[in-house]
Amino acid sequence: MAYESITNFIVNRGYEDLIAMSPYEVYNLPYDIAVKIWESLGGLIAWLINLIFPNNGVSQWLISDPVTNGFAIILMVIVIFAVSFVFCLLMLWEERKVLGRMMDRRGTMVGLKGFLQCLGDGLKTFMKENVVPKAIDKKIYWWGLSLVIGTSVLLACMVPLSNRWFIVDYQAGLLIIFALFALAPFLILCAGWAQNNKYSLIGGLRAAELMISYEIPMLILLAGTVLMAGSFNINDIVAYQEEHIWFVIPQIIGFFTCIVCAVAESERVPFDLSEAEAELVEGWQTEYAGMKWGLIMLGDYFRGYVACALVVFMYLGGWSLPVIGGEDWYLQYFPEIVFLLKVALVFFIFVLARAALPRVRTDQILNVGWKALMPLSVINLAIVILLKVTGVM
Amino acid sequence: MKYLDKYPKKFKGTGVIAPLGKVLRHFFTKTVPHRPVTILYPYEKEWVPDNYRGRPGLRFDRCLGCGICERVCPTTCIELVDVADDEGKMVKRPQVNLGRCMMCGYCAEYCPVDAMTTTTDYELAEFTRQDLIYDPRRLNFEYTTDMMEVHIEEHLMSNIAKGITDQPTAFYKTDRPVLEDSKCISCSKCAKVCPVNAIEMIVVGQNDKGKDIKRPKIDDKVCISCANCVIDCPKDALKMNEVL
Amino acid sequence: MAEEKMNSDKMWVTMGPQHPFSHGLWTLRVEVDGEIITDAEPEVGYLHRGWEKECENRTYNKIIPMADRLCYSASMTWSHLFCKVAEEALDIEVPERAQYLRVVADEICRIQSHLMWLAAVGTDVGNLTIFLWALREREFMLDLNVRLCGQRLTTNYPRIGGVRNDMPYYFERDCMRAIERFEKSLWDIIRLTDDSSIFVGRMKGIGYITRKDVANYGITGPAMRGCGVDYDIRRDDPYDAYGEMEFEVPVLKEGDAYSRYMVRIEEMFQSCEIIRQAMKKLESIPKNAPYRLKVPKCIPEGTHMARIEDPRGEGLMYLVSDGTESPYRLKVRSPVFVNVSASKHMVQGVRIADIPAIMAMIDMCLGETDR
Repeated sequence: MAYESITNFIVNRGYEDLIAMSPYEVYNLPYDIAVKIWESLGGLIAWLINLIFPNNGVSQWLISDPVTNGFAIILMVIVIFAVSFVFCLLMLWEERKVLGRMMDRRGTMVGLKGFLQCLGDGLKTFMKENVVPKAIDKKIYWWGLSLVIGTSVLLACMVPLSNRWFIVDYQAGLLIIFALFALAPFLILCAGWAQNNKYSLIGGLRAAELMISYEIPMLILLAGTVLMAGSFNINDIVAYQEEHIWFVIPQIIGFFTCIVCAVAESERVPFDLSEAEAELVEGWQTEYAGMKWGLIMLGDYFRGYVACALVVFMYLGGWSLPVIGGEDWYLQYFPEIVFLLKVALVFFIFVLARAALPRVRTDQILNVGWKALMPLSVINLAIVILLKVTGVM
Repeated sequence: MKYLDKYPKKFKGTGVIAPLGKVLRHFFTKTVPHRPVTILYPYEKEWVPDNYRGRPGLRFDRCLGCGICERVCPTTCIELVDVADDEGKMVKRPQVNLGRCMMCGYCAEYCPVDAMTTTTDYELAEFTRQDLIYDPRRLNFEYTTDMMEVHIEEHLMSNIAKGITDQPTAFYKTDRPVLEDSKCISCSKCAKVCPVNAIEMIVVGQNDKGKDIKRPKIDDKVCISCANCVIDCPKDALKMNEVL
Repeated sequence: MAEEKMNSDKMWVTMGPQHPFSHGLWTLRVEVDGEIITDAEPEVGYLHRGWEKECENRTYNKIIPMADRLCYSASMTWSHLFCKVAEEALDIEVPERAQYLRVVADEICRIQSHLMWLAAVGTDVGNLTIFLWALREREFMLDLNVRLCGQRLTTNYPRIGGVRNDMPYYFERDCMRAIERFEKSLWDIIRLTDDSSIFVGRMKGIGYITRKDVANYGITGPAMRGCGVDYDIRRDDPYDAYGEMEFEVPVLKEGDAYSRYMVRIEEMFQSCEIIRQAMKKLESIPKNAPYRLKVPKCIPEGTHMARIEDPRGEGLMYLVSDGTESPYRLKVRSPVFVNVSASKHMVQGVRIADIPAIMAMIDMCLGETDR
C-alpha cells in the first residue's frame, strides 16, 4: 500500500490538493515551489524508510497533508530568503561593476564577471578571527548587532516580489515595512554606545541625528502614495498603479525626494554619516571585526534592496509594466523578474549618487532634510490631495 | 586666469545635477564602449622606455673592476667580489645587493667604460634576502641598448667662460692623479692597484742605502680616473687633480 | 582639576597615527564637545628617520637621490633645492638649457603633486571618483617623468651644476600632448568638485586663517595665498629660469579651505602655462648646448641658504660646509611641518566631519615633515 501511495505522492500530488490546508487564499508561487521540493525530498525520505521498514508509520506521517504543509512553509521561507539573498549579492555585484566603470576601473574580476568575488569576500570574513574587545557592554554589543542584521533580513524577506510571491499579504504592508525600517538607527545608536569606542559612539549618535532628518519627509511621501492608492496594502497599491498610472508621473517631485530619502534610509554614500570612513574610521562598526562586519555589510545591502523596493512600490508600479501591444505574457510568467529589474534600475541611481557625490556633513543633512525634503514632500502631498479632490485620479 | 575667472560661480540652483550628469556621461561614453584605463598588471604590462632606471645591469666583458660604482653608490649596495672570468682568471667585479639598491642609476652614470648600465627590469621580488644579492654574472642583462648606458656629458666651466660649448667631457676624461714628489716612498702600491695598468714605476735614482727610488708615471690616455691609487697611497702622495 | 575634567562633557578623540584622514603617520588629538571641536593638538614625529644627520656622512652627490625621498610626490623640487643650495655655495650659474629643463621638470612635479593632493581630497570628503580620476591624470605626468628621468617618483634628475640628461627624443611632443589632455580632463574633475553643491558646501566656511595668522605661524604656499598674501618665490625671488616665465599667481582673500582648494587648482593651470613657455624657449636653444657643468667634489667652507617654491609651500635648505666632500650640517625647512602647526587654530570650532577637509588642504606629506 505504502509504496504506491508514496509514488503517487511524488508524482501526482500538487498544490491544488493542499489548498484547503494552505494558509494562502490566492496562488502563492514560493509555497508551490516548496510543496514541489517537499514532494521530492520528503517523498524520497519516506520511500527510503519504507524500503527498510515496509509499511511503517513514519513514512505515512511524512506524506500526510498537515506534515507536508508544515514542511512546505519552512521550505517556502528558505526559498524566499534564498531569492532575496541571491538578489542582494547581485546588487552588490552590480554596484561593484558599475561603480568601477564609473571610476574608470574594472571592478571585481573573480569568476562569472566578478560575481564570485562576493562569495570570496564572505568566505574571507568568515575565516577571520572573532575579535571582541574587553571593555564593552556585552549584552548590547551582541544584541544590537544581531538585531540590526536580523531586522534587515526580515525586511528583505517581507518584500513581496509579485502578487503571487509573498509571505503574508498584510493589509498595512507598507506601514509595517516602514516601521521595521525605522528601528535600525535606534539599534545602531545602542550598538555604537555599547562598544566603548569614541568613534563608534559618535557614529551611533550621527545615525540618530540622520534619522530625524529623513524619516519625516519619507512618511509624508508615504502618505501621498497611500492617499492616492487608497490602501496600505502593497498589492492594492500596485494594482491601482497598473490600472491607472504609475505614481511617478503625478508625483514626480515625490519620486526624486523619495530617492534622496531612500539613500539616506539605507545609509549609503552620500549619507553614510554614521560610518564616515574618512573621519570616524568605520563609525559605529569600528569594533565589529571579521564575520560580524561581513554580516553588517550584507545587512546594509539587504536594507538597500528594501529601500529600492519601496521606491519601486510607491512610484514605479511594482511588478506591473505598461503593456506594449498584445498579451502581457511577460507579466503572466515573470512579474518577479520585472520587479527585480526595476529594483536594480533604482539601485543604479543609488550607485550613480555614490560615484558622483561626496559625503555630506551632519548639519548639512539636517538642513537638506528640513529645508528641502520636508517642503518638497509637503508640496507633493498637496498635489496628491489636489488631484484626489478634483477627481483627476 | 583660466580657472579663477570662472569660479566660484554664484549658486545657480543646479545642485548636484552637473556631477551626476558628468559621471553618467562618462559611464556611457567612455568606459562602457571603451576599456577602462586599468592595466591588468601580471597579464599586460606598461611599456617602459629604454632610459628606465630598473635594476643595475653589468656587461661582464667590458668591466675593468675599477670600483668607481662601489664608491659612488649612495646606499653602499655594490661590493667588488672575486669571480672567474671567461678564461678562468680571477678578476674583481661588482656584486649588487638589490635589497638595498635605491635605483638611482649612479653606477651606470659614473662607469667610465659603460659596463654598468641601467636596465628596464623592474620585477625583482624574491623569496629570500640572499636571492636579492645579484652576483656579477647574474647582473647580466640581455637587451642592453644605447639608452641604458647613461653617459655623463659635463662641460668645463673654464670652457664655457671661453665660449666653447661643444666639447662635452666627463670626470674620467679630465681628472688625473698628480704626485707630490716629496711624500712618495717608492712603495709601488699605486701601480699594483691600478685596474688599467696606467701606472708604471720608473727608477729615478738610488737612495743612500743603494735601493732604487721609484716614482709612478701615469699614462694619461689609459687612466680612467678611478682614484684607486689616490685612496690606497699610504702617504697621501697622490692627489686627484680636478679640472674645472 | 581632575574632577573638573571628569565632570566635563568634552572628550578627547585621538585621530591617528593610523587613521584614514591622516595620510601618513601623525596624530591629531582633538577635544570635542558633541561634534564641535574645542581644542586640538597635532603630534608629528612618528616618521623621523634622521635624514639631516644621515646627510652629514654622505658626499654631496649621494645626497641628491636621498633628497628625492624627502617627499614622495614632490621629489623633483627637493632634489632641485639641494642642488640649488650646493650651487649657491659653489657660486656657479647653471647653463641655460638646464635651467629650462629644471623648470619643466619642476612644473610636471608640481602638477602631479597637486593631483595627488586632489585625489586625497576626494577620499577625505568621501568621493572615490575624484580620487581615481585624479590619479588617472597623474599617471600621464608620471609617464613624462619616466621619459625624462627614468623613474616615476624618485626622479634623481637635477645634478649640482645642471641636470642628469637632456630631453629624450619626442619628449617635447609627448609633453605638449600630455599637458593638453590634462587641461581638458582637469575640467572633468572640476565638474565633480566645484559644480557639486555638496562639495562646495563641505569646503566653504571652514578652517579660516587670516593674514595675521599666516605671519604668526609662518604658513607658506597655497595656504598662504588662499588668505590674501600675494607672494610666490617663483615670481618674487626667481630662481633658475622662472624669471623669464610669464605666469599669474592666484591669490584669494577668503582664507577658508575652499580658497586654498581653488588656489591649488589654478596653480595647476598656471603650471601648464609655464611648461608651454619653457618648451617654447627650449626649442630656441640649440640641441647640443651644455646642460651640465663639471663641479668640484668639495664645497668651500661657509654657510649657504637656498629656497624654492615647493608644491606645499616654501622649501628651504641651510647648508654649513667645512670644505670637505660632505656637508657639516644640512638643515631642511619643511613647509608642511610649519603649516601643520596651525592646525590647532584651523580646526577650532568646526565639526569632526570638517577635519579631513581642512587637513587635506595642508596636503600632508610626512616624509618631509618628520625628515
